[in-house]
Amino acid sequence: MNTSGTAKWQRNLFIASFTLPTLAFFCVFTIYPVIKALYYSLFDWSGMSDHMDFIGLQNFKDMLRDPIVWQALGNDYFLVAGKIAGIMLLATFFAVALTRFGFRLSGFFRSIYFIPNVISVVVVGVLWNFIYNPQIGFLNAFLSLFTKEPVAITWLGFTSHTIWMLLPPSIWAGIGFYMILLIAAIQNVPDSLYEAAELEGANQWHQYCHITLPLVWEQMKVSIINIMMTTLNGSFVIVWLMTEGGPDNTTQVMGSYLYQMAFRQYHFGFGAAIGVLILVTSLITTVAMQRLLHRETIEMS
Amino acid sequence: MVLNKKMAAVGLAAAMTVLPLAGCGSNDKENNAGGSAPASPSASASAPAASSASASAGDADAVKLTGDFEIQYFVGGYGDKWWKKVIADFKAANPDLNVIESGGPKINEQNKPRWIGGNPPDFVYIDGAGLNDRQMVEDGQVEDLTEWFGTAKNVDGNLIKDILAQQPQQYDGKIYNIPLVLNSWGIFWDKALFKEKGWTEPTDYASFIDVSDKIKAAGVTPFIHTGKYPYYIQDAFLFPAIVSANGDDYQILQDMADSKADAFKSPAVMAGLNKIVELRDKGFIDKASIQINHTDSQMSFLQHKDAFIPNGLWLPNEMSKDVPAGFEFGFIPSVTQEAGGKVVANTSTASVAIASKAKNKEAAKAFLSFIFSEAQASQWAELSGAPSNIKGDISSSNAPSFVKDAAKFLNDPNTVVIPMITFNADVEKVMWDATDALSIGKITPDEWVKRVTDAAAKVSK
Repeated sequence: MNTSGTAKWQRNLFIASFTLPTLAFFCVFTIYPVIKALYYSLFDWSGMSDHMDFIGLQNFKDMLRDPIVWQALGNDYFLVAGKIAGIMLLATFFAVALTRFGFRLSGFFRSIYFIPNVISVVVVGVLWNFIYNPQIGFLNAFLSLFTKEPVAITWLGFTSHTIWMLLPPSIWAGIGFYMILLIAAIQNVPDSLYEAAELEGANQWHQYCHITLPLVWEQMKVSIINIMMTTLNGSFVIVWLMTEGGPDNTTQVMGSYLYQMAFRQYHFGFGAAIGVLILVTSLITTVAMQRLLHRETIEMS
Repeated sequence: MVLNKKMAAVGLAAAMTVLPLAGCGSNDKENNAGGSAPASPSASASAPAASSASASAGDADAVKLTGDFEIQYFVGGYGDKWWKKVIADFKAANPDLNVIESGGPKINEQNKPRWIGGNPPDFVYIDGAGLNDRQMVEDGQVEDLTEWFGTAKNVDGNLIKDILAQQPQQYDGKIYNIPLVLNSWGIFWDKALFKEKGWTEPTDYASFIDVSDKIKAAGVTPFIHTGKYPYYIQDAFLFPAIVSANGDDYQILQDMADSKADAFKSPAVMAGLNKIVELRDKGFIDKASIQINHTDSQMSFLQHKDAFIPNGLWLPNEMSKDVPAGFEFGFIPSVTQEAGGKVVANTSTASVAIASKAKNKEAAKAFLSFIFSEAQASQWAELSGAPSNIKGDISSSNAPSFVKDAAKFLNDPNTVVIPMITFNADVEKVMWDATDALSIGKITPDEWVKRVTDAAAKVSK
């Protein structure tokens, strides 16, 4: 009795020695900032002075009335939808092509497609700014090969829907990682399944639909949800690098608007409120996606 | 980022400013208010030397400055040599004062917790990202200098308000910060190119439109601006246009800066906006403008893809590495005035202020009197590539020639020099967005006015 009690205590101590520090870090670096942001979102504060006014939920009321917030929200979900569609389609295609079709050089292409992931987002932004540059940009120069008059489209300066132009760089920069993720998943599928299917006369498409897709669905789900979350929380970077939300807020996303309000227009409280909005929308969307993407788990054995 | 470049331009000048001061006998113990200053040549400009006793902000007379005195200064494009030198001299003049320097490119961020915590430095140079003078005034962080400014004399014994080229901004009639740097917005072109092509350099709006027609016919785009940062076209084109249309009275800009909604509805504003529309509809504005940043627009201009660019006097310095051989900068502060009308110079500046929670306000005021002296002016221009905010003839100094040209404009009685203006950040952002939208034909001038009026009404509520 006594000895087992000691053993139990030691076991608990052992567990605690791993969990408590982690919990402490989690509280200090995640929970505390979130609570602090919630707290600041209730104040009218410039973020620069010792002067703060408690205004309750006024920031949130203002937020609902601010058309730019809605535009930013729309742009965010546009990016989420566009990136999920673009990245998943292309990443899956490349992953299947590089594993199931077994042609030579597949290792080479795998590296090539992964390169954009190694490049810092800052470089991606600058690079695509050059591609889109109306005067010296690659895109206009390329299109001009096929026209009499030189093409002079301002790719990042449309009166509306400029957000579309941020999709290609985001997708381009994202494919590699998810491709690798899916390649790993596909390689885990036992070859015997494909061999059996082959003997039964199933073609590549059938094999994909009935073997690959069900067996890598878990990884796909993770990928989709990960794309969604990183987009809602992180699209700020590419937006800020390329357009700063302009022209006329057509490319504003929640993250960039948060920065704009908190640090450029000195409404730190309002910025914090946008932060809360990002948190809430991310949570809701994640839960919704989990539900939506839920399928019977298929075990491979 | 844009500020950095400006600063780079001006920073150099700062360093030298102080040398002459050192020679002015500030090494005695009488401190800056004492009789030593009149020895400097500039003192002869006005006021008998005797009056200099009251120079130090009218309070410190013969009192020795003691204790700690902390100066926060941002180091950007203008560098920090001037600050180092002026502070060293100030120390020499006040041996009992413990002067603490908080300077650096990140100082605004570093000291932010102290401003938030109510323990700020005594003296602050408001420049660079993270500091906004209007916001600091609204937050009550800087000292009301209205009364002091009315009678303050510099160490030479001159009234400071008399020798400033550009007056401080008034916030509902009160003064909190004093502009230190004088820079001007305006329109640039390449004199050499204009000569070669036989184009006439513009002097007013009619000649500007005329020559733009010719330029366009010759296959060059007349005008490029920086759509990503619309303040270039606003500060160098729209605001002078508004002032000209308002009978050269810049009060309208001050009202706009104070977010008085009615000011934006003035016909003068409409007249200015219509000039942008005219450029747009005649196809004078380079279509690339809307999405590019300042570097891209400036490169385009230097490569003669575009003939005119709205910019600030820091441009030649900023692009010095990329200026092609034979390129000769032409500059005029404004092109939007009627023929024979006054040129309107919209200024760009960085200012200094005293913290409202400063612990040593005496020293801070004495320091203000110390730095706003004529001895500083010519050195500043030499080192920074931008004129200082103190009137004076710099034609004999080593300042770059375009700075001298600009100084000539700014000192000319026929030039309207707009005082320092800082807009409310919310109104300003709406204005930027609207100006961009106007320049690509997304909205009409009426919609511009509507948007900005709404924003102004909202913040002045």
